Amino acid sequence: MATEIRLEKLRREFGPTIAVNDISITFPSSSVTCLLGPSGCGKTTLMRMIAGLQEPTSGEIYFGDQRVTELTPSERKIGMVFQYPVVYQGMTLFETVELPLKGERGLSKKERQARVTSTLESLDLQDVARVPVDQLDNATKQKAAVARAVSRQPKIILFDEPITNVDVSAKLQLKRALKGLVRQHAQTIIYVTHDQTEAMTLADEIALMDSGKIIQRGQPREIYNNPNARFGGWFLGNPGMNFVDYPVERVDGEPLLREPLFARPTKVSGLNGDANVVVGIRPERMRVYGEPTANAVEGTVIRRSVVVGGQHLLTIQIGDVIVKAKALHTQSYEPGEIIYTEFPLEHVCLFAEDGTRLNTQLSAS
Amino acid sequence: MNIVEFKNVSKKFGRTVIADDMDMTIRERSFSVIFGAPATGKSTLLRLITGLERPERGDILLRGENVRGVKPGDRNIGYVPQSFALYPHYKVKANIGYPLKLMGVSNDEIKPIVERTAEQLKIGHLLEKMPDQCSGGEKQRVAIARGIVKKTEIFILDDPLTGLDFKLREQLFDDLRQMQLDLSATFIYTTSDTLEALMLAEDIHVFDSGKIIEFGELEDIYSNPQHVRTMALLGYPEANILKGQLANGQCETPLLTFPANTNGANGDVFVALRPQHVSINPHTTDGMITMPAEITLIEDLGGELLVYLDAQDTFLEAVVNHGEAEDLTEGQAQIGILPHDLTIYAAESNTHIGQGVD
Repeated sequence: MATEIRLEKLRREFGPTIAVNDISITFPSSSVTCLLGPSGCGKTTLMRMIAGLQEPTSGEIYFGDQRVTELTPSERKIGMVFQYPVVYQGMTLFETVELPLKGERGLSKKERQARVTSTLESLDLQDVARVPVDQLDNATKQKAAVARAVSRQPKIILFDEPITNVDVSAKLQLKRALKGLVRQHAQTIIYVTHDQTEAMTLADEIALMDSGKIIQRGQPREIYNNPNARFGGWFLGNPGMNFVDYPVERVDGEPLLREPLFARPTKVSGLNGDANVVVGIRPERMRVYGEPTANAVEGTVIRRSVVVGGQHLLTIQIGDVIVKAKALHTQSYEPGEIIYTEFPLEHVCLFAEDGTRLNTQLSAS
Repeated sequence: MNIVEFKNVSKKFGRTVIADDMDMTIRERSFSVIFGAPATGKSTLLRLITGLERPERGDILLRGENVRGVKPGDRNIGYVPQSFALYPHYKVKANIGYPLKLMGVSNDEIKPIVERTAEQLKIGHLLEKMPDQCSGGEKQRVAIARGIVKKTEIFILDDPLTGLDFKLREQLFDDLRQMQLDLSATFIYTTSDTLEALMLAEDIHVFDSGKIIEFGELEDIYSNPQHVRTMALLGYPEANILKGQLANGQCETPLLTFPANTNGANGDVFVALRPQHVSINPHTTDGMITMPAEITLIEDLGGELLVYLDAQDTFLEAVVNHGEAEDLTEGQAQIGILPHDLTIYAAESNTHIGQGVD
């Protein structure tokens, strides 16, 4: 019953600003795609065009084989959940979910009420079914909005940052409800968020957006481990990747990376031309030691902070390069201390100076 | 030297107590974070320092001098408010220079100061723009620049990164710390965000129920919290707190019972367990208390996984490094806890009384 969504050269301009820049992409049916990116990247505009709430400047939108570019939002028959849940004063939760079903032809009252009941149960809302919606907390209101969208059994559901305005304490129950929902894979879901954790947790695929373009699209771990541009390395991760502008030496035409980060000369295969590179590595992929160790280079701890799970985030100066590495809190390296850092070659990503990923292999020579 | 001191300060709004006979000392040239739950009055504390609010009782000392009766304008403090209200009809450079203009500094003198401050905050290219031509993150930098443009050595920043994207905040963490070092000034900074407090603070002041319940260097306070609220608030993810009873050297909670060293204390207690001390499907269980638990949700932070557990109706949060747990899935699991990772607080006083014993 789900259906794929296909965009062809979809574009939206606002005056001189190009919010969405000729995006062509297919969101596969029965899967969850998160549109992830910073404020102003165009993700909400893209979603509003799919919903029919924003007219494209040019380009086409298809749901399956049907061209929907000029259809109104209601003609598109999709479910939507927004940042702020819509609340009808005085109506109970049950009535709120039932209301949009009343317009559906061929659905008897009995069938309608059975459908509401089963939807509420699937979201664990049965106990508050008779409570007026305006008396519910924000997370439950938002679950009610999800129930409304789901109960009409649309083929497509769009979520626009549904968790952003929910209290921290209630976020978890909403996340669980959403994860339970998306796991059923009954619909094609597009989920807009700026929160990388939400995207990494809920998505089958992430479409990473910046400046009106989709930079990379793939499974969350694939994008995390193998960003195709600096942007993905920077945006995902907490903190994101280290990037170091790095000189490439050529010995007999063979490109080599040397100190300060590489203890042994490191061959770069697949690197053409004579340009320098940008070395990228995630802070949790570096290894730090208190003693000189093979393949590790000497550096000085210049700062230390406590981060997630009590780990230490060390800011390390190696030669004239400054990088950040995560270390277990049991490895207590003090600011000012000399330590030894290894950059495991399998975790080093090389980028061109313009930020694109280089298809290269590193090996110790 | 202490650059700011509160002595027995009390402040109320109607029935709401903000400060209750409160003491606080801020070290000169420190990056001091006042950390507490949202909407507990942290902004009011800052306004007491700047003189925009007056205490009902008690004394506030600035640079060693009692400032009772000293007007806000004469306290010489840089201030970055929470909402970055920029003047929409002024260019960015005029917004940044505004506090200097108020002080009667001439335009010729203002120009280089504004340019230097803008460079520090990497917004030199925005000076000729209007605020509505700037993004949210840029506006925030402009507001910070306006707050630090004054020549002074005390700067107050009232939760200035709230509402910004995580990535923008991440960049500003580094910039703010560097700025404080460059200015060699005291930064007094409020936040209710744990990661922000951990990333920024050199000294931390934990504010709860109208008092500073604990203060000192961040890592000391994090490693050894003496108050259960500090343990509960200061850590990401937050510590698990269980209710329990202590009798005859044994501590009992609904989840587990373990031997405890509390110097003979007995009675109702809170038992705290940091999320990084919950092992999931541990390779070795030596010395551990183990039990089955259901993993109800796994959140992927990239480098780490947050794991939500239901252990016999006790909810626990755990954090594991991604590399160690690539095959972890939701469903049944075994968890292990080392007793020495369990910290015990007296329920009556909320203060630390001991640890579990392996």
